[in-house]
Amino acid sequence: MKKVLAMVLAGGRGERLYPLTRDRAKPAVPFGAIYRIIDFTLSNCVHSGVRRIYLLTQYKSTSLHRHIQFGWSILSAPLGEFIEAVPAQQRIDEHWYQGTGDAIFQNINILQDERPDLVLILSGDHIYRMDYRKMIAFHLEKGADLTVGVIRMDRKLCREFGVVEANADWRMVGFQEKPEEPKTIHGDPGGIMASMGIYVFNTEILVRRLIEDTRSDSSHDFGKDIIPMMIGRDQVFAFDFRRGDYGGTGYWRDVGTIEAYYEANMDLISVTPQLNLYDSGWPILSYQAPSPPAKTVWIEEGRVGTALNSIISNGCIISGGNVKRSILSPRVAIHSFAEVEDSILLEGADIGRNAKIKRAIIDKEVRIPPGMQIGYQLDEDAKRFTVTTSGIVVVPKGIRL
Amino acid sequence: MKKILVVEDEESLRLLYEEELKGEGYDVLTARNGREAIRQLETGKPDLIILDIVMPVMDGMEALGRIVSKERKIPVILNTSYSGYRENFMSWAADAYVTKSHDLTELKKKIRELLEKGKNR
Repeated sequence: MKKVLAMVLAGGRGERLYPLTRDRAKPAVPFGAIYRIIDFTLSNCVHSGVRRIYLLTQYKSTSLHRHIQFGWSILSAPLGEFIEAVPAQQRIDEHWYQGTGDAIFQNINILQDERPDLVLILSGDHIYRMDYRKMIAFHLEKGADLTVGVIRMDRKLCREFGVVEANADWRMVGFQEKPEEPKTIHGDPGGIMASMGIYVFNTEILVRRLIEDTRSDSSHDFGKDIIPMMIGRDQVFAFDFRRGDYGGTGYWRDVGTIEAYYEANMDLISVTPQLNLYDSGWPILSYQAPSPPAKTVWIEEGRVGTALNSIISNGCIISGGNVKRSILSPRVAIHSFAEVEDSILLEGADIGRNAKIKRAIIDKEVRIPPGMQIGYQLDEDAKRFTVTTSGIVVVPKGIRL
Repeated sequence: MKKILVVEDEESLRLLYEEELKGEGYDVLTARNGREAIRQLETGKPDLIILDIVMPVMDGMEALGRIVSKERKIPVILNTSYSGYRENFMSWAADAYVTKSHDLTELKKKIRELLEKGKNR
């Protein structure tokens, strides 16, 4: 069996997710009530048998490091398995990572020490379930130097993705980074093949191309520089996500904006979400502090603790308030007569008596005082909070109200 | 006049290289280790670097990573008597490899080639 090493890029700032990324890196942003975004990629790795994992962190990595330490110390070192978070160390040069390629190059000593046959490069920013073994098998079968994971996207999203052009044999013949005029899929003019930021590289080719890239005028990015340089020169193939998609629903999200984050979370409370967290065949692993079970209290005239069409995590107490179509992370408290609708409440949020919350994201440990309304008068909310164009209000961590 | 930076911890070799390369009409800068080489790279602006691997303070491999990150296009010749260096991925960032010897014919040839190549870039 080939020796595979995973390098997960977890250093992105996630600026468009501000203020959720004010105090944490994007991979550490909570998702789906009890998870962090990084849990999806790491779960994919361990279920795919890829259990030698380096996580390359950079900005605001404290929260991410803690999550990895608490939640992911689950592999067996004696069996050669590990997940190790590596902060940017300026080993080679006194700057932070300049691009995705530079992030790997700056950690070339890891490749040196590990000497894997293949390097699986992943992003810690995406929500999906995928069996990487299928992609690795494809890579070996094709005799590829580089295989790029691709997914069909609407043509109109071309400005957000690297667009792959492949022939009938899945050999890559072109790559455009965020183009205005994308090459559409043959026979599907409304679709493009988007790069998912998932790469399988033969180690030697990876090192040679990284060094070449380092020694040239370049932004040192896989999408902008390294993949285009390799097409037509090395054996570069595209791997269709549908062949590796666990569950076969085609679900893959880059929750890069508050809007996308909100929608992807809200999808989970639908009757049959596209992302099925209840499928025990591919569980998403995470860390949860021990909490007592969730409960509802009060059932008397005008004061009934209820939660409808919602996700309620451990440690939540819905005490005489009403929750509809919302996602409650662990230890959320909803006090009497409070109303919460279409909202995401992160761990430890506390909603005071008579407060009313609508279409809002309340960050960890925020206390909403009794009677306060959020999401009802957006122009007022906008004076204090981030309000998106579609009217989602984000109440940041640490705020005193 | 082209300027060559010789990075070598052994004094006798450093003097030999300096003399021989001056005789070839090059300007020569010297450094005793990787750290001095990085400093020389910034202040002396060499056109080519001859780099030993096994040195105190900062070895040639570490210096090579820093050199190519700072001055992406400067040609570097790894000059060593230690044969295992190609096992080190970073060594692949060098432009040429010359085994250490008191006969500098091959080294001089590589220098000419690389400076010539640089002109056509």
